[in-house]
Amino acid sequence: MDEPKPLLTISAVSKKFGDIEALSNVDVVINSGQVIGLVGGNGAGKTTLLRLISGVLEPTTGSLMFKEKKVSKSRERIGVVPESTGLYARLTAWENIRFHSRIYGIEDSVSWARTYHFAKRLDIKDELSRHTKGFSRGMRQKIALLRALAHGPDILLLDEPTAGLDVTSARTVRHLVGQLRDEGGTVIYSTHHLAEAEQVCDRIIIVHNGTIRADGHPDELIKSTMTTNLEEAYVELTKDKARPRSDAKEKEGRISKWWSKFLTGTTPKEVGEDE
Amino acid sequence: MNNGRNIVLQIAKKEVLEFVRDWRTILAIIIIPLLLFPVLFIAFPLLLQSEADELDSLAVNVSWQGDYNSELNDILNQSEINFVFEDIPSGIDNLSTPSTDLERVRNQDIDAILRLTNDSNQWEFAVLYLSTSESSNEARNRILDSINEWESQVVNGTLIKAGLDPNETLDPIKWDGDWEYADTATKGEQAGLALSLFIPLVIAIWTASSAIQPSIDMTAGERERGTLEALLSLPASRLQLLVGKWTAVAFITSIGVGLQIAGLLFAITYLASNSIIGVPEISVLAIMLMFTAVLIFAIMIVAFELALAMKAQSVKEAGTLLGPVVIMIIFPALFTQVINLDGIESFWFAIPLVNILLAMRELLLDRVITEHVIIWLISSIAYATLAALYAAKQFKREDLVASIS
Repeated sequence: MDEPKPLLTISAVSKKFGDIEALSNVDVVINSGQVIGLVGGNGAGKTTLLRLISGVLEPTTGSLMFKEKKVSKSRERIGVVPESTGLYARLTAWENIRFHSRIYGIEDSVSWARTYHFAKRLDIKDELSRHTKGFSRGMRQKIALLRALAHGPDILLLDEPTAGLDVTSARTVRHLVGQLRDEGGTVIYSTHHLAEAEQVCDRIIIVHNGTIRADGHPDELIKSTMTTNLEEAYVELTKDKARPRSDAKEKEGRISKWWSKFLTGTTPKEVGEDE
Repeated sequence: MNNGRNIVLQIAKKEVLEFVRDWRTILAIIIIPLLLFPVLFIAFPLLLQSEADELDSLAVNVSWQGDYNSELNDILNQSEINFVFEDIPSGIDNLSTPSTDLERVRNQDIDAILRLTNDSNQWEFAVLYLSTSESSNEARNRILDSINEWESQVVNGTLIKAGLDPNETLDPIKWDGDWEYADTATKGEQAGLALSLFIPLVIAIWTASSAIQPSIDMTAGERERGTLEALLSLPASRLQLLVGKWTAVAFITSIGVGLQIAGLLFAITYLASNSIIGVPEISVLAIMLMFTAVLIFAIMIVAFELALAMKAQSVKEAGTLLGPVVIMIIFPALFTQVINLDGIESFWFAIPLVNILLAMRELLLDRVITEHVIIWLISSIAYATLAALYAAKQFKREDLVASIS
């Protein structure tokens, strides 16, 4: 029997921002029906990898293929929930979802049916007509999930979906991810909570300092590192000192930089660098 | 519908919907532009008129010090002035020295003091008043008007006594007929000239300033609120995002400018119905060219402002970057107002911003000069294209996403 064709193939991908190498030589193959956990500390490169998969960023070298097409040409098959959720506060929840669906070229009736279906599962159908301005973090996360699912993507990218959520909301999100997997969906789930990754994901990719340190089922990671649990395995795999977040080196606006130099003679960043 | 066009349209619709959901926006883009000119041209003059009428009907209290003159008294009696007669304080160098009357006038116990003395054949006078008081100024003006009239009577009397005709003596060279009829420009052309002195200025400044807020909101604001990443992850190209956002800003700005022009036309119609000014006479071609000029100008300004706002890391920085844009518009706009259009050199029509403003001035005078039209049309399209390319470059920057955190 033929092996199923991979859904997503990441080959020798590196990503540089100026002098900073955010990701280095990443190779990952993702098949349908899996929940893959991207686990790593702050600044490890998880978000950069997700942005490359979503086509928001282009790799410096290497390639990302969705089935047989470049990821940048298959963006309509991907659903994204960024860490910030990205909901427009002056629009209602449904208007937010409808806007995204229309860009994906989906009929309102189709996206409404899908939205309503998932809204019932998340118990938020009554919130769809409300403006998102006063929504809690958990509610925003759920609406962003509905938005990402409304066009029926083949692959769902979740960047820290439970960060800042209360216990019940986090549990609801995890439950939905599990249901999606059971229905054959593919989810890439970025988190820095090992317990959560172990609970939700079939496969864990540990990212550290821009490189893939391990890729496999939680039990395989424990076995390969000869440790007794996932936390110890993670510590073993990421022994070297974590680099600072790449955006800590982010360029300060030229005007503010000039202005702060003009006022103080030196910028706080320069002082910090000397220490 | 073409998918690319649909994406642009959806982005523009979303931006407009989100923008107009804020009541401050409605105030800024609808109420203020609509009311600005009617308030300036109708309500403000009406207010001034009612204030002037109120002052006219006001009875003022004046102290008449020194010598009495019955002719002056007769004239002053027609001006709603209540007099008290007093002596001039002793020990003053001249009539303008307030001396002991200083506090009376300053405390407004009295509105003004008229001091009058007769020295053989000559009368001398002074009026003490408080320039910061409306009623004191009014009292002074009424006294001065009355004194002028009295002086004319005195001069005419003297001339007649000397056997001279006052008209021939005092006004030996005079205009014959009604000077208004001597102007060969029609009322409509005169109105066009009057409007050409400020309409280009208003359109330029309003376009630039009303595009600032939406430009910042849709770029740096989107970045700061964390909605940009979700937007960039959609299957829309950066160029489609730019065009969608540009369309939204241009739409909002045009509503503002359009309503302002509507308000202006309403004010002009009102003033024309009162025969204060005429309705400008402009050909259809000139009107169409003017719309084209405004459109190209809007393309350039909105693209430039979007690009600058996208360049900024935050709303605050975007405000710092875009604030001076209005100043950059005001100076050339003011400069353009004083350029003489008769025999103007063609190169003026190739200078950015100045070209569009001069074009609008010429067109409001219904002057369609082919050479000028070709120069401003080509040069401004070139500038608008450059601005659009600059905006596209800013939208394609990778650190647009990399710096979101």
